[in-house]
Amino acid sequence: MKALSFVIATAFVILAAPAHAAVEVLACEPEWAALATEIGGALVVAESATTPQQDPHYIQARPSLIAKMRRAALVICTGADLEVGWLPLLLRQAGNGAVQPGQPGNLNAADYVEMLDKPSSVDRSLGDVHPYGNPHIQTDPRNIGKVAAAVADRLAMLDGANAATYKQRYEDFAKRWQAAVERWTTAVAPLKGKQIVTHHKGWAYLENWVGLVEVGNLEPKPGLPPSAAHLAELLNQVKGKEVAVIVRSTYEDAKASEWLGTRTQIPYVVLPHTVGSVPGANDLFGMFDAMVKTLAEIKR
Amino acid sequence: MTFDTTALTIIGPGLVAGVLVLATHVPLGREVLKRGIIFIDLAVAQMAGLGVIAAGTFGLDAHGAAAQAAAFAAALAGGLLLSWTDKRFGKTQEAIIGVSFVLAATGGLLLLANDPHGGEELRDLLVGQILFADVHTLTPAAVLAAVVLASWRLVMRVFGRAGFYLLFAVSVTASVQLVGVYLVFASLMVPALATRSVAKHALAAGYVIGLIGYLAGLLMSAVYDLPTGAVIVWTLTLAGLAAAPLLGRWRGAAA
Repeated sequence: MKALSFVIATAFVILAAPAHAAVEVLACEPEWAALATEIGGALVVAESATTPQQDPHYIQARPSLIAKMRRAALVICTGADLEVGWLPLLLRQAGNGAVQPGQPGNLNAADYVEMLDKPSSVDRSLGDVHPYGNPHIQTDPRNIGKVAAAVADRLAMLDGANAATYKQRYEDFAKRWQAAVERWTTAVAPLKGKQIVTHHKGWAYLENWVGLVEVGNLEPKPGLPPSAAHLAELLNQVKGKEVAVIVRSTYEDAKASEWLGTRTQIPYVVLPHTVGSVPGANDLFGMFDAMVKTLAEIKR
Repeated sequence: MTFDTTALTIIGPGLVAGVLVLATHVPLGREVLKRGIIFIDLAVAQMAGLGVIAAGTFGLDAHGAAAQAAAFAAALAGGLLLSWTDKRFGKTQEAIIGVSFVLAATGGLLLLANDPHGGEELRDLLVGQILFADVHTLTPAAVLAAVVLASWRLVMRVFGRAGFYLLFAVSVTASVQLVGVYLVFASLMVPALATRSVAKHALAAGYVIGLIGYLAGLLMSAVYDLPTGAVIVWTLTLAGLAAAPLLGRWRGAAA
């Protein structure tokens, strides 16, 4: 009986609203939580709804997630339908008016960058094609800089008393980020024009930034698991081509890239798609340091 | 200690969903156990799911009336087919149910082979998203549970064996979309198993076990931040295991 009342009490404490003075930020993906922390510092408490090991297209609802959504003053998601499978349900169930779409407390990162791969027509038979364009915008560091400005503006609007601090912290971040982007751009410059194969169509913005040429995907259509027939076709397709590397993210199964890699002698790597996905990627700077380091080690 | 209503409003809808599922599944589970056709619910639940998936493949909204009708039709067809095989091939009924289950499950896989969200839909069908239950999904489920319970005796008397399969198909179609196949199976079997040797008030005892299981699961999932549906399957089973010897002693004292 004692144990039961402990569980009940703990559940209520965990789900109840703590008296935080800080602005509570719920991000859909770790990179936006990291960005909110860069801009807000101790003024915000930022958490991510998904982990670096999770596919942000799909998550299971847990009570804590609804509780966090209910407390949040600002919700930062990628948007462009990346979270369409769960975010609308979560927003509706939490019933937090301040973070509903269209409110100042709801920020879609995709609204602030130029979208790639916008389809001229959307057909379900083509796979998981997003009508608003490719949503994996965070793999180009210049996009992070653009979203940072939007996050800073939004925090200043929601927490007016600290507006000056957000502005100052943003300017400091923007300066450091600008310098880092220049350093990374120089480091990846020799890779321009190299051909790559990726698991999912999740690296369009990285390719656009570095100047990589995507010659194939391990997935037959976006979102569908690699099939034997498609892999065999891909094998023929890359033969005779100078493909530099096969790229996947941490939440994708290694089997397909290993299969193609061992048959073609093309090296296969994991690139950090978000903060915390590989060792050393502890913040946004670390994420791109790790990404650039892996890319620069590619020999051919 | 803060004791506000936040927690209640988060796990409340899940608890209501649990009560509605238990309302019909505890008595249905007793029938299933009595007839020795344990895997029928897995088969019928999968068929209902197959109906929803098929409706989606043909471009219907999964939560619309047409898809619900498709799910109910599929479950009913499956229920009636199994009722007929029960009569026709009585001894091998359990094996036929098993084969029907794998056919319905792999049929869903085949239909969703070209759907990029197929994996998610299949997972939702199995584990469910009980926390996302709301007024729009709970109201029809409540009406349906009330109709099933109110018409129980009449349907059973008029249609006999087929009546049981009819009630079963209706209940499972609604509950599988609310809480998923795993939880439907646990809600049917665990209370029925734990109370099978209880002579008096067995139904009431089954309801109590089910309620404790759901409540404990919802609270545990809040404390340990685990997926709710899967946790409830475990707490429900633990509640059944804990209750069985208590009920046995109670029966011994009464005898």
